[in-house]
Amino acid sequence: MASVAAWLPFARAAAIGWVPIATHPLPPPPIPKDRRKADDEKLLINVSGRRFETWRNTLEKYPDTLLGSNEREFFYDEECKEYFFDRDPDIFRHILNYYRTGKLHYPKHECLTSYDEELAFFGILPDVIGDCCYEDYRDRKRENAERLMDDKLSENGDQNLQQLTNIRQKMWRAFENPHTSTAALVFYYVTGFFIAVSVMANVVETVPCGHRPGRAGTLPCGERYKIVFFCLDTACVMIFTAEYLLRLFAAPDRCKFVRSVMSIIDVVAILPYYIGLGITDNDDVSGAFVTLRVFRVFRIFKFSRHSQGLRILGYTLKSCASELGFLVFSLAMAIIIFATVMFYAEKNVDETNFTSIPAAFWYTIVTMTTLGYGDMVPGTIAGKIVGGVCSLSGVLVIALPVPVIVSNFSRIYHQNQRADKRKAQRKARLARIRIAKASSGAAFVSKKKAAEARLAAQESGLEMDDNYHQEDIFELQHHHLLRCLEKTTDREFVEMDVPYNGQPKRPGSPSPLASPAHSAASHPGLLHACCGRCCGQRYQKHQRGATPESAVHEEELNDIQVRMHSNRSPPSEPTPDRLSRASLNQSNMTGGVATTATGGTGAGGASLVSISKPNSTTSSTMTASVVVNLPASYPGSEVEPASPVSPGASPSTSPDQQPEVRISSL
Amino acid sequence: MYGMVSSHPEKHAHHRQHQGSASKVTWSVYRRVLNYVKQAWTGVKFALDSELEDLETPPRYRPDSLESLCRATRFTEAELKRIYRGFKAECPTGVVREDTFKGIYSRFFPQGANASQYAHYVFNTLDQDHSGLLSFEDFVQGLSILSRGSLDEKLRWTFSLYDINGDGCITREEMTDIVTAIYELMGKFTEPCVDESTVRDKVDRIFQKMDQNRDGVVTLEEFLDCCTRDEDISQSMAVFDSAF
Repeated sequence: MASVAAWLPFARAAAIGWVPIATHPLPPPPIPKDRRKADDEKLLINVSGRRFETWRNTLEKYPDTLLGSNEREFFYDEECKEYFFDRDPDIFRHILNYYRTGKLHYPKHECLTSYDEELAFFGILPDVIGDCCYEDYRDRKRENAERLMDDKLSENGDQNLQQLTNIRQKMWRAFENPHTSTAALVFYYVTGFFIAVSVMANVVETVPCGHRPGRAGTLPCGERYKIVFFCLDTACVMIFTAEYLLRLFAAPDRCKFVRSVMSIIDVVAILPYYIGLGITDNDDVSGAFVTLRVFRVFRIFKFSRHSQGLRILGYTLKSCASELGFLVFSLAMAIIIFATVMFYAEKNVDETNFTSIPAAFWYTIVTMTTLGYGDMVPGTIAGKIVGGVCSLSGVLVIALPVPVIVSNFSRIYHQNQRADKRKAQRKARLARIRIAKASSGAAFVSKKKAAEARLAAQESGLEMDDNYHQEDIFELQHHHLLRCLEKTTDREFVEMDVPYNGQPKRPGSPSPLASPAHSAASHPGLLHACCGRCCGQRYQKHQRGATPESAVHEEELNDIQVRMHSNRSPPSEPTPDRLSRASLNQSNMTGGVATTATGGTGAGGASLVSISKPNSTTSSTMTASVVVNLPASYPGSEVEPASPVSPGASPSTSPDQQPEVRISSL
Repeated sequence: MYGMVSSHPEKHAHHRQHQGSASKVTWSVYRRVLNYVKQAWTGVKFALDSELEDLETPPRYRPDSLESLCRATRFTEAELKRIYRGFKAECPTGVVREDTFKGIYSRFFPQGANASQYAHYVFNTLDQDHSGLLSFEDFVQGLSILSRGSLDEKLRWTFSLYDINGDGCITREEMTDIVTAIYELMGKFTEPCVDESTVRDKVDRIFQKMDQNRDGVVTLEEFLDCCTRDEDISQSMAVFDSAF
């Protein structure tokens, strides 16, 4: 909100349109304190020798940062009359531009960690980085985090060895990272060896070695050395089975393990053997048995545990599946088209090979992939033309998409990653922004509470922090604007949050001396203290940094205040309007302002002071709260209302007769 | 294989940014077909010339000199300087478009409030030449009337705000629109809730107060007369004065 401080006067001016609609007079505007000078001044900031100058207002746009708050006073150098920071001037340039333009940019050539440190030093959250640079920033941050994590993991990996006492955990880690111990390495190589042996055995089984006795044809080695191969197979399967069972035992999440791809491959690799054991040498099922042996070739996929490359390839294919699918689909379309045309072109040739369209599929595939076996050739001229076109288009259809798929894959892969990243970031970011906005919206209501809570504290003589005496005029005016809107529409802002401690909304009971203060306000030029009818405010919670204690504290203070006001004896004030004002504005749970009795000002007029509670401003951007109301006697220049810091101070009202109140400086 | 060359892709993007609200010139079918044939023949993608042609230079606007503004408004030079600096920081091009205006205005109201309708009316009232852009002169003149003007001037400005179509009298519909817009500023979370009868009652009450000759419209004289006589309104008009 503070960043549009320049437009606030305009927004307030435009609010004149509300005036004829309002049924009741609008509350008077706030007045700034004395120390706010009429002219904006330039501040000199010296960052490691490089001097920056800017208006004070620019810096105060963001009061929750170092430069915008009074934390900068710690760095003020009295002799040179400048603020000195011993930090990086290059990065400071961006930080200062944030104040100037409202957008924080991230320079790509800067190191991320140093930039983060500068932001942290100056109290700026990285969330406010503009959209143009945010993605870049986030990516670099993630890379950094990953690198750090890798380093840490590798460190920890060496350290954590001793920490696993559980045999299960040890075994699982041995399986997953073979390099951790020699036993794991041995196991890794042994299984690898047996996979290779098993695959080789499958292959060699089918090589012919010698002739069939008494029959034509060759004898495959598998049948000649049946026992040898059987023993080999048994040994391999026993190893694989043992490995699978061990993995199953060691897995931290067995269900997940059973469902994983590698375990399925393991099962498929060893199951045929056991099924084969169960099946007797029956002719009926021997065909099925032979089919089962085919599945033994899946043992080769077990290598993917041993090879990173295979895993990446598998992942590649999986992620590129839609592109491949499209390729297959378009190929199928082309095949069908050409096969149909070919068939109808060659139908009338004698002894043609193109006996049907499906028969022509084979020709089309062979031609399109430019294989050209020659087992089927067209005879007619039309067929030859079609065949020519088919082979040319085959080149196009097949050769072109392949590099496109490759580059597509690479592009889509990265794009998806970035899109997911962005989505995840966006969601989190939007949530944070929503929280911030909600808290700022809630802050308005809370400030009202804080206002009279503060007042009550002052009334009852409680300790208050000194550092909240500075009131930001923009916040005051903004609050005043919103209060006028409430008055115009006879409505009040409420929060949607459930009351913190379940307290129901207190009824807007009229104050003990309720009298329509408007009649009392017939005194010309007397401005009223504001909206006393904001009594229906519900409690709300600050999202960021809100502590239950603060809310409870507020509640307590409100109680105190309620008691105070009900105890307060109005007759102490001489003037009736002050009385009525006090009465009007003090319902049990008042809104923005409360009155303080002033020490006998003859001109009549109480000044209203309220200060925000310390706790409630830990996270919100506002440090000040409402100061409202001036008696008619206020002069045009800034007048200091009773500073709450000094409880005994009474407002210095000088009996001028200017009916109008002016804010003398912004 | 022919290569595809598309010329100046960066400039495209760069220029497109500056197009603003200019409407694109639609080029004829003939030109498009010709362009396509040319591309297919030569294999070179030509820059779409018309896209470059109808680029709009971004609005740049410089206000009148400080002295003339000082004379035209009731601000001092120092105040004008301060106002202009704030204005230019928010709107570097020197003019405010309506949606920018609505965005700025809605920042002052809580979440869920629909400030665009009221902002629209204010914008129209400030934009005296109805150009759709609010220049600094308009802005500062409006501000001068609203912050430093006499009661009469403020009331006249308010009347022109309410008189949406500018015909010199406020009808019931216009008043209803304005009141609805003001209630929308409150947002959804109000206590007690806003419903249609609220607005209707309000409008009825206002018309009863202001429309003396009961002709169903409120003219400028009736408006001025009623407001100057009503003390609450007269006093409240001064509430929004600010110093600069």
